[in-house]
Amino acid sequence: MTAVKMPQLGETVIEGTILKWLKQEGDQVAVDEPLFEISTDKVDTEVPSSAAGTLTKILVPEGETVAVGTELAEISEGGAAGAEAPGAASQLAADGSGEAETSSATAGGDDAPSAPAPPAASAPPAASAPPAAPAPPAAPAPPAAPAPAAAASPPAEPAETAPSRMAASTQTALPDRGPRSQILSPLVRKLANEHAVDLSQVSGTGTGGRITKNDVLGFVETQGAAAPAPSTPAAAPAARPAQPAPAPATAPAQPAPAAAAAVAQPAAAMGGAEEIVPVSHIRRTIAQHMKASLEISARAWNAVEVNMENVARLRERTKDAFKAREGFGLTYMPFVTRAVSEALLAHPMVNSELRGDEIAVKHFVNIGIAVSYDEGLIVPVLKGSDTMNLLGIARGINDLATRARAKKLLPDEVHGGTFTITNPGPFGSLISVPIINQPQTGILGFDTVERRPVVIDDTIAIRHMVYISMSWDHRVIDGALASQFLARVKQNLETWDFAEDLAL
Amino acid sequence: MATRAVEAGAAGHGAEPRGKRTDQGEATYLVAIAEALWEEMERDERVFLLGEDIGVYGGAFKVTEGFIERFGPSRVMDTPIVEETIVGAALGAAMEGLRPVAEFQYADFMSSGYDEITTAMARYHYRSGVPVPVVLRGPSGGGVRASSFHSTNPEPWLSQAPGLKVICPSFPSDAKGLLKAAIRDDNPCVFLEHKWIYRRIKEIVSDDPDHLVPIGKADVKREGTDVSVIAHGMMVHLALEAAETLANEGIQVEVLDLRTVQPLDVEAILATVTKTSRAVVLHESQRYLGTGAEVASLIAQEAFESLDAPVVRLSPPHVPVPFSPPLEDAYLPQVADIEDAIRKLSAW
Repeated sequence: MTAVKMPQLGETVIEGTILKWLKQEGDQVAVDEPLFEISTDKVDTEVPSSAAGTLTKILVPEGETVAVGTELAEISEGGAAGAEAPGAASQLAADGSGEAETSSATAGGDDAPSAPAPPAASAPPAASAPPAAPAPPAAPAPPAAPAPAAAASPPAEPAETAPSRMAASTQTALPDRGPRSQILSPLVRKLANEHAVDLSQVSGTGTGGRITKNDVLGFVETQGAAAPAPSTPAAAPAARPAQPAPAPATAPAQPAPAAAAAVAQPAAAMGGAEEIVPVSHIRRTIAQHMKASLEISARAWNAVEVNMENVARLRERTKDAFKAREGFGLTYMPFVTRAVSEALLAHPMVNSELRGDEIAVKHFVNIGIAVSYDEGLIVPVLKGSDTMNLLGIARGINDLATRARAKKLLPDEVHGGTFTITNPGPFGSLISVPIINQPQTGILGFDTVERRPVVIDDTIAIRHMVYISMSWDHRVIDGALASQFLARVKQNLETWDFAEDLAL
Repeated sequence: MATRAVEAGAAGHGAEPRGKRTDQGEATYLVAIAEALWEEMERDERVFLLGEDIGVYGGAFKVTEGFIERFGPSRVMDTPIVEETIVGAALGAAMEGLRPVAEFQYADFMSSGYDEITTAMARYHYRSGVPVPVVLRGPSGGGVRASSFHSTNPEPWLSQAPGLKVICPSFPSDAKGLLKAAIRDDNPCVFLEHKWIYRRIKEIVSDDPDHLVPIGKADVKREGTDVSVIAHGMMVHLALEAAETLANEGIQVEVLDLRTVQPLDVEAILATVTKTSRAVVLHESQRYLGTGAEVASLIAQEAFESLDAPVVRLSPPHVPVPFSPPLEDAYLPQVADIEDAIRKLSAW
């Protein structure tokens, strides 16, 4: 038996979210075969199996966030799975209580459920049943299962965990908040266990004070659940793919639950005009980082206008041959990255990081490139860009961006940036005010290159022009340096001859 | 999507049913069924029709109007008024390698051929290993003031006979694709055409002669998050109307059209209940030991932990279909009844 654990992906990563199990319980898995997908603060990635055998048990369901090192699953080195097909088991054992009770609850002459009736008389099956009663239909099979090889493997999973789950939720006495406040539907019991919710803290909005599914989910949303108990992966309803991630250690204090609830309420009342979309892990991470950055840094901003005519002409002249040889198009980004990398070496304070009472000044350049993709934004890092020529940078950026959009980045490839470039240009933006990617000191925005009339000497000419801007941290540098840095970038782009780098 | 309307124009005898589509290219449910029959007869000469007055007269509801001129009396065969013989002849022909499609003037009269259907036809593929590719078609259901002999939904009776597939489409596209799938199936299929839908519902249907709808697959006709209504036949249309009204009240109803009641699409039923946690099983056929009982039982057994409220059955009382219009209206679930049941369940 091999335990599968949450891997440490990158030195600063402390937890990860299981996005998807690529194998289900009972499936065979080979060494290095992709086993599950995780999302961390830094990256989404597939994790390969470290062992071969049968995936006997999944301990952490999809959507849950757990600390590095947490046991996620078990792999048995044996052959075929010992577990019986669950469908068959429930078929055999099913003609029992659950079915009969549900039938009787609905067999009355009037078909609709008699909601507002007094609790004792009309209590539907789930209400009055003692904790032990509503054992699910998959009754425990006799341990002497017919399969000879099965002796060592655990019996069918539901028999083991289901009764304890049912019992746990009813341990706390519920306060009397109405004639139907003691009724707990099967789903409410299950959700309460999954999210470790104390139902005595949840007030019911159903008829007669009954606690509904939405009451539990709303409670979890606003209160933040305790560590979710392990449960079967199939059990989680599709309606809630992602658990709220615990607040990261670095984030500012969470808003008080009451405040959050007050904000959330009107939305719920809006009805059909608005759509409720769960916050994805990546969205939540971006939100926390951006908000934190604005609070940490003293952001200031400058922009310069750059004549890109030479670059544009070179690009125009070489683009077909470049595409034919390299297999991807030559954009402006490699030129800008090359020019910025040089300017950062020349002005290393812009390439620095404030650490308490000290400033770490970096004489090497790792450029973060902001890449947007379906689910949000990610910033892979082009390491050692100051040591690359234009072609190396172009290849590096293309590789990172392609893999970022395919969610194939390795965790270390989103670490260690010293400065960031963002490029909203493809969407037509003229000028941007980016937020600094902490703990860096500056972020440069490169927008749309377009042909504009400009004054050159005493004539008006049409040139490819662009606004290049930078948000920078006034705690670390001042406006004079920021302007000098931007002037250097401008000078590089306007005067350098990039042609020989392309070897075309 | 489908729109409600009255009657598409009829083409002359001998013309293919596609000529009966509206100017916009929409086919009524009835025309879609005729198209399926016509296209399968064009495709496979082993396919033939038999039934009462289906030839020169064109059938009680004119589904086969024009067929005899195109395919001749040996493939559009008028029979005596003896349902037992119709089924027996179809069964024998199928075992000899033909693919008969038998029409019943009303699905009520399937009971007149009950022994041949349930004892012989349903079991012979299983008993002998010889394929039995028979389709029994008939107009079923109420809502058209046709009284107790002409308003039956016999799907529970027939679903209880192992070996039969029972298909109850509610939209023209599904009717066409499912009838073609049934004709190509090597097992006996009962294809119940709801007569209330025949000329009321029309939509664009596929022109692809090989467009099939799989037997045994349900279809979500409207997505919703709060309550699932699981229905088939005419009730699907009433459920969709109720869902529209309730959306204005903030209740998002998901409507699952079973399309086939034997076999049931277990996966789709469990998926919608897992999504919404609340289910109304709505049907027009008998309540006792009926489709609703089967679906409710399935949900109780397999989706117990997904339920946030009891499963509700909404179906007529255990009496014959009344003739008096007010009584028939009281007997059949109405849109207001469905809305009421969903509201109560939603607030449970």
